[in-house]
Amino acid sequence: MKIMMKSIALMLFVLVIKPAAANVSVFACEPEWAALAKELGGERVSVFSATNAFQDPHHIQARPSLIAKLRRADLLICTGSELEIGWLPVLMRQAGNDKVQAGQPGNFAASDYVTMLDKPSSVDRSQGDVHPGGNPHIQTDPRNIAKVAMALFARLKQIDGDHTADYTQRYQAFDKQWQTDLARWEKQAKPLRGVKIVVHHNSWSYLTSWLGMQVVASLEDKPGVPPSAGHLSQVLSRLKTQPAKMVIRAAYQEGRPDEWLSEHAGIPAVVLPFTVGGTDQSTTLFSLFDDTITKLLAGVR
Amino acid sequence: MMFDGLDISILGPAFVAGLLVLSTHVPMGQKVLSRGIIFIDLAIAQIAGLGVIAAHSFGWEPNGWAVQGVAVMAALTGAFLLNWTEQHFRDIQEALIGVLFVLAATGGILLLSHNPHGGEHLKELLVGQILWVSYQQLIPTAILYVLVLAFWFRTQHHRSLSFYILFALTVTASVQMVGVYLVFSSLIIPALAVRQARRKALLYAYVMGASSYAMGLIASAVFDLPTGAVIVWSLGVLAMITAGIIQYRSARTVDDKAIAATVLDSCVKAEN
Repeated sequence: MKIMMKSIALMLFVLVIKPAAANVSVFACEPEWAALAKELGGERVSVFSATNAFQDPHHIQARPSLIAKLRRADLLICTGSELEIGWLPVLMRQAGNDKVQAGQPGNFAASDYVTMLDKPSSVDRSQGDVHPGGNPHIQTDPRNIAKVAMALFARLKQIDGDHTADYTQRYQAFDKQWQTDLARWEKQAKPLRGVKIVVHHNSWSYLTSWLGMQVVASLEDKPGVPPSAGHLSQVLSRLKTQPAKMVIRAAYQEGRPDEWLSEHAGIPAVVLPFTVGGTDQSTTLFSLFDDTITKLLAGVR
Repeated sequence: MMFDGLDISILGPAFVAGLLVLSTHVPMGQKVLSRGIIFIDLAIAQIAGLGVIAAHSFGWEPNGWAVQGVAVMAALTGAFLLNWTEQHFRDIQEALIGVLFVLAATGGILLLSHNPHGGEHLKELLVGQILWVSYQQLIPTAILYVLVLAFWFRTQHHRSLSFYILFALTVTASVQMVGVYLVFSSLIIPALAVRQARRKALLYAYVMGASSYAMGLIASAVFDLPTGAVIVWSLGVLAMITAGIIQYRSARTVDDKAIAATVLDSCVKAEN
């Protein structure tokens, strides 16, 4: 009996002590931030991604695990800038986790740490699905990833102060490798400078401004609204005067409009991973950009 | 397998929402089935959505209760229209409902081409997700459904107009809570399952529907699958089982009667 009591006491002790020893539980809204948290946190963090590369991060199907995971999260990492406005507010309400509410250390919005592009001068509802805070698809520029990494490093230290040395070591290693690869990507991507392309959805502004590519047309006249026949013929006639090299889309987007344009304008339709896991080759943040550059270079050739 | 989603505070509100939806949809589904107007719920929901989009494109941006008001007004207009067509073109009513559905859906696309923000409201109206409901949100719907059910079971004959009005009010509320797929299946599947039952059909349908919601919610938590879709499938599976049992039992009662008749017959013969 005494032994049993002791073992029960020990079990209780283990159960009670475990959360304190457990690592930081991270709930990431998109796979790129899940990957970044893993790079910077190593085994100090356990990471869950709410979406994968084949899901449109604007929309999400409700599953009980999403609520359960967010309820137990110490740190919520999202793009912010209204990308997740369709589902994150309800999910946060259902989870009722004070730690990850806006303004708390456990709430991290990546877009707070980069310079936003496509910021509308006035929010006019007739322009389409525009985000007043600017274009939220910031992860397509690796320089943004570096900025977000720095801010996330600071946040991890703030949340889990006991392991500052670990995080510092990991961050420094990540940043060093990232800067080296960034220089390499920029060198490899030289032939892409000034190349004219057509985009499917207005989600590549950061990539094109980084590589100096020129977007001559967007298949969606207004973001989020399917193209009209008139708009498509406009795109085709614009391509006659300003021939583009390719039409690009993200892995999660539907390919038919791109294939249509590819056929009518005689240019290749290129599928880019857009985020970690979007293609077989893009398994980490590093290989995400390796693969993006490789696919773009193949499109130019 | 994951068990952290098996939490009554996560699944509880969704289950109550399911029970609320079933409370009105099961009896209405029996009516819809006997009238042969299966797709009326899709049409009504789409018309409610169209109303909200139209309000947007006229430059009026309603919020909260005003959105509900517009949606209900649009759905009621659809109800009056369908009542009128039933009086005049009864034999093609189902076809007209289908046409009304595609007109409302594509009308939304045409209006949206100039105002995509109405699209967000359309989505809110059509793809409600059962897991996102909270108890507070259920209260207005619960009050509405008590009133609807009181009218429903009092007016035994279900005059055409009152049927369409009650139906429009009910579906406008439920579709925003649980989405089009669950509304359609809660309406049609339990009613189909108990079609052969000679008595207590409504009770069987309620029990079958409630079990499906419970099973679907648990399966969605354990296998980490989208909740609405899993509930639709458990409704489908349990409906087949229920229909099978009812069929088997009614066949057996027929057999018993046949045997009894033969026995009686031979007794009579023996006496003679």
